[in-house]
Amino acid sequence: MSGALARLAAQAEVLKLARVLGAPPERFAFLLDVPPDDIRALRHQATDVLFDSNLDALRRMAAASRLLPAAVLAVMTEKAFGPLLSARMAGLVDTARAVDIASRLSPGFLADVAAELDPRRAAGVIAGMPPASVTEVTRELQRREDWITLARFVDHVPEETALTGLAELHDAALLRVGFVLDDAGRAATVFERLPEHRYPRLVLAADEHDLWAMMFGLHLRLHEPVRLRFADAAASLEPAARARAAERGRDLGVLDDLGPLRAALLA
Amino acid sequence: MGASQREPRDLAGLVGGPLPESIENLPDEHKRVLAEALREARRRQARALSEASEKSLSHVPFLLRGAVRKAAGL
Repeated sequence: MSGALARLAAQAEVLKLARVLGAPPERFAFLLDVPPDDIRALRHQATDVLFDSNLDALRRMAAASRLLPAAVLAVMTEKAFGPLLSARMAGLVDTARAVDIASRLSPGFLADVAAELDPRRAAGVIAGMPPASVTEVTRELQRREDWITLARFVDHVPEETALTGLAELHDAALLRVGFVLDDAGRAATVFERLPEHRYPRLVLAADEHDLWAMMFGLHLRLHEPVRLRFADAAASLEPAARARAAERGRDLGVLDDLGPLRAALLA
Repeated sequence: MGASQREPRDLAGLVGGPLPESIENLPDEHKRVLAEALREARRRQARALSEASEKSLSHVPFLLRGAVRKAAGL
């Protein structure tokens, strides 16, 4: 990764860490020169600390919730627990029951919970959500421009759930989410399974929204067949757009790493 | 309180393990900022849990309140 791309990735990681800690990202500006992988590792450590704190009390609350009907719990979840505690408890409640409760919550509240959730610990609940709910929550998170939460879900939910959500994203949003995905393997897989018509649209969005840096950062993590699809799409751009992209690639120091995409931009 | 006196002050102690190398090599003042932010997040979470415990009981049907209170250890 070039220095410029590493700094972009570090910015994304600082935003994610700040989200976990509930603090403004500017407070951690000193991390911008730290390797993004190390910021990510620290975020995972901090997440574990927070999710393991108060665990006994949370488990007792989850146990007590078994005494109540799902309809009552849904009201309590929105009016008393709030998003933070709901997110902490999601992985502690029986999965089928958690899905039942979640299905009764408003998309806005579910989006609030999603922002606080550790998808690693609530994978069963997320996987059990009906596609219509996934779609609604994705739309709400897109409306909020919460790319970080969307990316965390794409990283951890079952692939089919991720693809259901990604189908809802507009092209620029998909690039932004793709860039902040933690898991390079997941990025490669979901971008490989996009419908064919999205590749030209994504390339156009990169040009129209000046998202070439994100496109290049994402591109470097993809498998060769997908890179070729993006290169084909880029070849059909107007010459001026290809020149802008090539110049951005040079500025970022990544143009020579782009393989077939480089050839398409310079043709 | 004894428990808070025993709480680790440094970042590595708070996360309970070795820090990533470049984080470990940060100046102490930066590690202190991170440690304080993590402590604040923990305090906020504990406060939210305590408030929600009390508030949630008011939504429990009256006849079940005793059983729920007992199961939740309230």
